[in-house]
Amino acid sequence: MLGLLGDQGSDFAHKVDYAHDIVTIISVICTVLIVGVMLYFAVIYRQKDGKDHETPHIHGNNALEVIWTTFPTIVCIWVAWLGYDSFVDMRTVPEGAMEINVTGRKWAWDFQYKNGKRTTGELVVPVGEPVKLIMRSQDVLHSFFVPVMRTKMDVIPGRYTYEWFRPIKTGDFQVFCTEYCGNEHSKMLARLKVLPKAEFERWLADDSEAKKLASMKPSDRGKEIYAGKCIACHSLDGSPRVGPSWLKLFGRKGELSDGGTYVADENYIRESILNPAAKVVKGYPAQGMPSFQGQLSDDDITGVIEFIKTIDGTTKVDVAAPAPKKSAAAAGATPAERGKALINDAGNLCATCHSIDGSKLVGPSFKGLWGRKEKMSDGTEVTVDADYIKESIYKPQAKIVEGYGPVMPAMYEGKLSEQDVNDIIEYLKTLS
Amino acid sequence: MGKDKDVMSSNAAVAEHHHVAPGDPPHIHHMDSKTAYGAAKLGMWLFLATEVLLFAVMFCSFAIMRYYHLSEFHDASHHLNLKLGALNTAVLLFSSYTAAVAVTKAQRGDNKGVIRNFGISFACGLIFLVVKTIEYTGKAEHGMFPFVWNEHFYEYKNFLGLYYCMTGLHALHVIIGMAVMYIYGIRPAMHNRYSGRYYTPVELGALYWHLVDLIWIYLFPLLYLVG
Amino acid sequence: MAAHSSSHAAGGEELNYLNWKTGLWSWLSSTDHKRICFLYLYSIMVFFILGGIAALIMRTELATAGPTIPSIVKDPHTYNVFFTMHGVFMIFLFVVPGIPATLGNFLIPLMIGAKDVAFPRLNLFSWYLYVFGALCGGIAMMNPVDTGWTFYAPYSTTTSTNVSLMVFAAFILGFSSILTGLNFLVTIHQLRAPGMTWMRLPVFIWASYATAVIQTVATPVVGMTLLLVIAERVFGAGIFDPTKGGDPVLMEHLFWFYSHPVVYIMVLPAFGVVGEIIPVFSRKPLFGYQMVVYSSVAIAAVGFIVWAHHMFVAGISDFSAKFFSIVTFLVAVPTAIKVFNWVSTMYKGSISFKTPMLYAMSFVFLFMVAGTTGIYLAMLGVDVYYHDTYFVVAHFHYTIQGGAVIGLIAALHMWFPKMSGKMYNETASKTAFAMLFIGFNLTFIPQFILGMDGMPRRYYDYPVEYQTLHTLSTIGAYLNGLGYMFALLNLAWTAKYGKVKAPRNPYNSKGLEWQTASPPPHENFDTQPVVTEDPYNYGTPHHA
Repeated sequence: MLGLLGDQGSDFAHKVDYAHDIVTIISVICTVLIVGVMLYFAVIYRQKDGKDHETPHIHGNNALEVIWTTFPTIVCIWVAWLGYDSFVDMRTVPEGAMEINVTGRKWAWDFQYKNGKRTTGELVVPVGEPVKLIMRSQDVLHSFFVPVMRTKMDVIPGRYTYEWFRPIKTGDFQVFCTEYCGNEHSKMLARLKVLPKAEFERWLADDSEAKKLASMKPSDRGKEIYAGKCIACHSLDGSPRVGPSWLKLFGRKGELSDGGTYVADENYIRESILNPAAKVVKGYPAQGMPSFQGQLSDDDITGVIEFIKTIDGTTKVDVAAPAPKKSAAAAGATPAERGKALINDAGNLCATCHSIDGSKLVGPSFKGLWGRKEKMSDGTEVTVDADYIKESIYKPQAKIVEGYGPVMPAMYEGKLSEQDVNDIIEYLKTLS
Repeated sequence: MGKDKDVMSSNAAVAEHHHVAPGDPPHIHHMDSKTAYGAAKLGMWLFLATEVLLFAVMFCSFAIMRYYHLSEFHDASHHLNLKLGALNTAVLLFSSYTAAVAVTKAQRGDNKGVIRNFGISFACGLIFLVVKTIEYTGKAEHGMFPFVWNEHFYEYKNFLGLYYCMTGLHALHVIIGMAVMYIYGIRPAMHNRYSGRYYTPVELGALYWHLVDLIWIYLFPLLYLVG
Repeated sequence: MAAHSSSHAAGGEELNYLNWKTGLWSWLSSTDHKRICFLYLYSIMVFFILGGIAALIMRTELATAGPTIPSIVKDPHTYNVFFTMHGVFMIFLFVVPGIPATLGNFLIPLMIGAKDVAFPRLNLFSWYLYVFGALCGGIAMMNPVDTGWTFYAPYSTTTSTNVSLMVFAAFILGFSSILTGLNFLVTIHQLRAPGMTWMRLPVFIWASYATAVIQTVATPVVGMTLLLVIAERVFGAGIFDPTKGGDPVLMEHLFWFYSHPVVYIMVLPAFGVVGEIIPVFSRKPLFGYQMVVYSSVAIAAVGFIVWAHHMFVAGISDFSAKFFSIVTFLVAVPTAIKVFNWVSTMYKGSISFKTPMLYAMSFVFLFMVAGTTGIYLAMLGVDVYYHDTYFVVAHFHYTIQGGAVIGLIAALHMWFPKMSGKMYNETASKTAFAMLFIGFNLTFIPQFILGMDGMPRRYYDYPVEYQTLHTLSTIGAYLNGLGYMFALLNLAWTAKYGKVKAPRNPYNSKGLEWQTASPPPHENFDTQPVVTEDPYNYGTPHHA
């Protein structure tokens, strides 16, 4: 009715919303009534000319007391019943629900399907099927909250908890962690993707990535991760980019920006990946690197370390191949949605350095970028339009915004088509 | 934990200030002595209630942890020295009796009797603490003491964690109870303070000592017998 | 003893509790309940200000998505420290001792016609315990704690920050609270003036009585729980941390067994304050006095068996969730009864809008919002959605700030003439009231909407679509802060420099505390008062 809680994504959502509507209506009526009566009394019984007038000696009225004890009691019981009713649905898992194991850890969500497929930060489910999440925590308390499904449950170390829902529509929805769990609590997000059944089956059966990862040498795995996530900022040939080059990194000794020293051993590299701000090499920006906490597993990090050990000056890596476009094409029909998919595509590395929420990372944020007047490092001023963006993507060093370094890799010529760039521009327009 | 001290000092200490004749109820500036007696007693009972609740948390945790770790609790409780625990129980029970006798003596104005009986309770408290120390040392020798000698502590961390919390806090109460008996019972009695008209501190001190005893009466079977 | 009050100080001024002894030490060593009220008042205000600053820093950081003030809140950890500081300072050091230890101390003996509380030295000792606890808490903030004020395990048992000292501070503060409550209970039982029967006690006394019961009974539980957290951190006992075989949900149960009733410690005295203010400024007896009294007792009693409504999604069994939901609804009934009776008291009254009355009326509105939003959170299905979102944040700020803190400010205005012997400035106070009221609602109404949109609490950063509401809330927070500053500075300034002397009974109240001089003499009354009528005997009988 009132739609105060937004989209309904599960089949019990309407029950919750109904209870919510009823209690909203009752609350508003009661509040308006009581405050109204109070204000009415205040106006008509106010002291005129600041003088007391005679008042009756009323001590109370038993009939009234009985009424306003009984009436709220009855309303409360009714409302309690409504809440109870929606809760029972929420806690009664239908037979044959698809089970997915969920692990919360500082600060990411891991999902594992019955066939062994694993994902991190992305829960994919089919529409119309009941899904039961069996949840545990690796460290502290977390809580798995899917607003659109109206469900939430704490995730507790040392025991299993569960929640379930039956999605009633496809789409891409937000998942939050709602139990405070430390520094990156507000970043412990995940996406819930509800796919049409057939598409979900295809997705679930596609185990190519897992197979590939499982059979890979650690250093190859590291190489792949390098190509996907690190290449923009770390070179293999000794030239400095945003961050130090990885050539002869392992075992290197040097000075830190806070005056201390470091030895690039396994633990140093691990810490730098998970908590980059802790020990920054002298001469490099303090906030230059985002944390990969939750994005890389322990095996991934070991892979990266093994890869670093193999780098010898002749190592060459190509930027990760453009991700298959089908997901982008399927996800959105509009150019802006395709643009968004491209930006978020791990292979394109955009999101590593450009935020979409206005925060300053390595490069300028995409938020409000379109149409903005930017001052360049050479003193000129440029209005951000299609030509400027195109140039910045294909020839990043041509114009540098003041306050940023010339660090963006020139790797998109040939990787992104004209059409792709236009889609990205459409997406950027939606961010202003 | 000086609060118990203060509850009673509103009687006893004021008495000292005003140099009353021995055995007279103390003069209290804002209430008569009957009200003061009622107030002190009610205050003490309320305080004892809070003490019981304090321990209730640990009893409750004990019940739940025992449910989760039944076999650990069984094994660990066998490492406790049943004989020493039983000895301590007897000692405390006896001391509770003498504390009760001390109150009767105080009500009859027998200050010597207060000293004698509270003195016995005090000595029992001392014995209790010595035995407890022997037990703790024994635990330490078996590597079941936290901090230092703890190589086996972590096998029984659920049981032993609660064991040390419960007995430790109880031992602290024994010490406080002994201090109370000395400061508010024995010492004033040496100055013949108590009479049939004024014996509140002795009564409250004994009440507190009964609580200390009572808690042990529950701790002993829980920790040593049930396990 | 009556000799004190009839004699005069050197300046020809009448001797009262403020001037019969002078010097800092005469305050720090005073066992006079009225002076101890001020000791508490000054010390809690320090933490009100610190907690308020922490709140404003948080709100500023949240004004925009992404980092807003990186120079102060340089990373999420800093933000977490600020919300922990805000919670710990506001709850343990400001609101819990808030009304009971200040106004309760000042008013309980005066209202029941006693010379002091039952154990005056214990009363002072409680304040020193408070100071000791506050110091421990302050020192703990050197390596600032980032657990949130709830200290949930296993985060609190594993984080490297100074949790042990902080929970020890909370333990000490708990004992201060227990001893204060115990003192008040005994006082109310033993020291009532002749004729002051239980059914003639002012409702503030009844509210304080119910509060004191909760303080005495619930606080030891959290105290011990916090000690067990220390035991776990210091010597590795396994009680709450699942990696050591402990149970984190047990910690939540024990914590909320205290921390839900503690909400009533905060808000019951405020109910009492409102129940005192409305009859005086309506010139009417309090409507349904007995029901108001019984409802206070009922809230205190039922308040003990509702704690797990904080844990509907915490992994408790579905059966207990249902039980605690139903019982929670039972608390709504006595609360509603109170509101109905307050409003009915105004019926056919002769209402004057002095500042305390404005606060009391705003309290009725704010508490209606707090109460009705509480209904959402008691409803199982809806609470699953709202749990740990901004809706909860807004709800409990309406309860605690809109309830307890507004109650405290109302009471400070109401009894200001008695406490300071001066009259406050109506215009300034009403301006402050307006700022505070508008600012408060502007801060928290957007947070209700944020909660409806699913925004989780304790987030350093948030998706950009929430930004407008966050910005509004931040603007409101500043206005709210300014309002408090203005209201309190106004009172402080008037107390020191105000020229208008307060008469004995400026509001023409029937309350016993108004029948003695303003400010009262050291031992409150010149002669032992004898009570002969009901507490709110306003109006003309033949009119009834």
